Amino acid sequence: MISLNEVSKRYPGSRELALQSVTMTVGSGEFVFLVGQSGAGKSTLLRLLFREYLPSSGVITYRGRNLARFSGGELLRYRRKIGMVFQDFRLLKQKTVFENVAFALEVVGHSPQSIRKSVPAALEEVGLLDRMLAFPAELSGGEQQRVGIARAMVRKPQLILADEPTGNVDPDNALQLMELFAAINRAGTTIVIATHASDMVDRLRQRVVQLERGRIIRDVKRGGYSNEP
Amino acid sequence: MFTMVKPRTFGYFFQSAGSSLVRNSWMTLASIGTVAVALLVLGVFMLLAVNIGAMAAQVEAQVELTAYLADISSQQRSQLEAELKAIPGVAEVTFVSREEAWQKLLEWYGDNRHFLAGWEDDNPLREAFVVRAESAFRVGEIAAAVARLRGVEEVIYGREIVEQLLSITRAVRGVGIGLTAGLALAAMFIIANTIRITVFARRREISIMRYVGATAWFVRWPFIIEGLVLGLIGAVVASSVLAWGYYFAVRSLAAAIPFWPFVAPWPLLQSLALALLCLGALIGVVGSGMSVRRYLDV
Repeated sequence: MISLNEVSKRYPGSRELALQSVTMTVGSGEFVFLVGQSGAGKSTLLRLLFREYLPSSGVITYRGRNLARFSGGELLRYRRKIGMVFQDFRLLKQKTVFENVAFALEVVGHSPQSIRKSVPAALEEVGLLDRMLAFPAELSGGEQQRVGIARAMVRKPQLILADEPTGNVDPDNALQLMELFAAINRAGTTIVIATHASDMVDRLRQRVVQLERGRIIRDVKRGGYSNEP
Repeated sequence: MFTMVKPRTFGYFFQSAGSSLVRNSWMTLASIGTVAVALLVLGVFMLLAVNIGAMAAQVEAQVELTAYLADISSQQRSQLEAELKAIPGVAEVTFVSREEAWQKLLEWYGDNRHFLAGWEDDNPLREAFVVRAESAFRVGEIAAAVARLRGVEEVIYGREIVEQLLSITRAVRGVGIGLTAGLALAAMFIIANTIRITVFARRREISIMRYVGATAWFVRWPFIIEGLVLGLIGAVVASSVLAWGYYFAVRSLAAAIPFWPFVAPWPLLQSLALALLCLGALIGVVGSGMSVRRYLDV
């Protein structure tokens, strides 16, 4: 689905590489954990996959096509196949749960009928159907992240990119969120999660790509967080 | 990428722009006030220029120069008339014989014509061509060209009056354009700042929009509409004040300065309001465009 070939990234004004010669492939339907310490390059890798940034060198391809050569329209269509989940949830405080999820459909021009059908379905999947009229401030951290996940999946994306999705929730909720991701993955959506949550990684036993100082030092099919390379 | 926008989506844009204008009400008022002042100054100068222009046009219609002739034959006079008509900018050439000039002088003296007694049999006046220019702005150059022709002894016209009037018109236009350009620029920057504050206040929403796949234009439209509304309201305020002010100014000044040909308020004010609305909209859109381009990075 997405391949990175010798991808390096240096931020403007920085002397060090955030990513160094990263080569990996994310297959369709895969569940991948990106692990490593802060500054290892996990978030940079996610942003390159979203094509928020372009690599300084190397090539990223999506279904064989170089992301860097996408036209404006192609990039927009590509991004609409991706759902993003953030550590800080990024919900709009003045909008209800329903409106936050609906927002992802409104901005791409879905009809009110389609929104009224899709949003409750997504909220039911994340277990928040009964809270759809609540505002984010009335929800716990775990519930807010569920709204974030519902917003990411409401358009039925091919790929979900999540950056530390359990970083701001308690361990019980973190486990439930990871199980939710696993359920979404079983339904066919490819998932790439950057995380520090070692116990979750150990528990789910999915593919683990470990980064250190911008380099991949471990890539195992069904590994744990703390396995030695 | 610019794509066709559905009417429903435009509803979202207007709602978004409206709530932002209400939320930043002080900046909204400041922007509207600045645009209104800029356009008001422009409007005042436009009205001044139009009215001075009307006076200039009236003077212009009366501006003519007189070319007094040397002692030349009728054949030379005909040739000279042809040469005068060939000068660029000349609208009309009329020959005035010594006798006609004498009759005009008598008419002009009217009841005091006895002062001319004794001259009847020895008419001292010269033959002349009266030349009317297409525009007062060209009288000077035409006079110079006429003076160079053979057979012309002297050229006379109300040089000082014409030149003063023309320089006042030019000055009013120049100051008006300069002031307006400066104020329009200030208004644009204030609108840009208002939009910048809105962009900052809504940066979270904007980043989410980008992450969920909104087009750049979907993000831009509410801000463009916001700038447009600010510019248009400013223009409406300026037009209303100008219309009211001009209407009453003309009414009171027409009696005080009866010789001045004031331009009637209608349809002048309609055209002025239309021009100010267009300019207000332009200032608003360009101002917000500056902000959106600089701070949205979309």
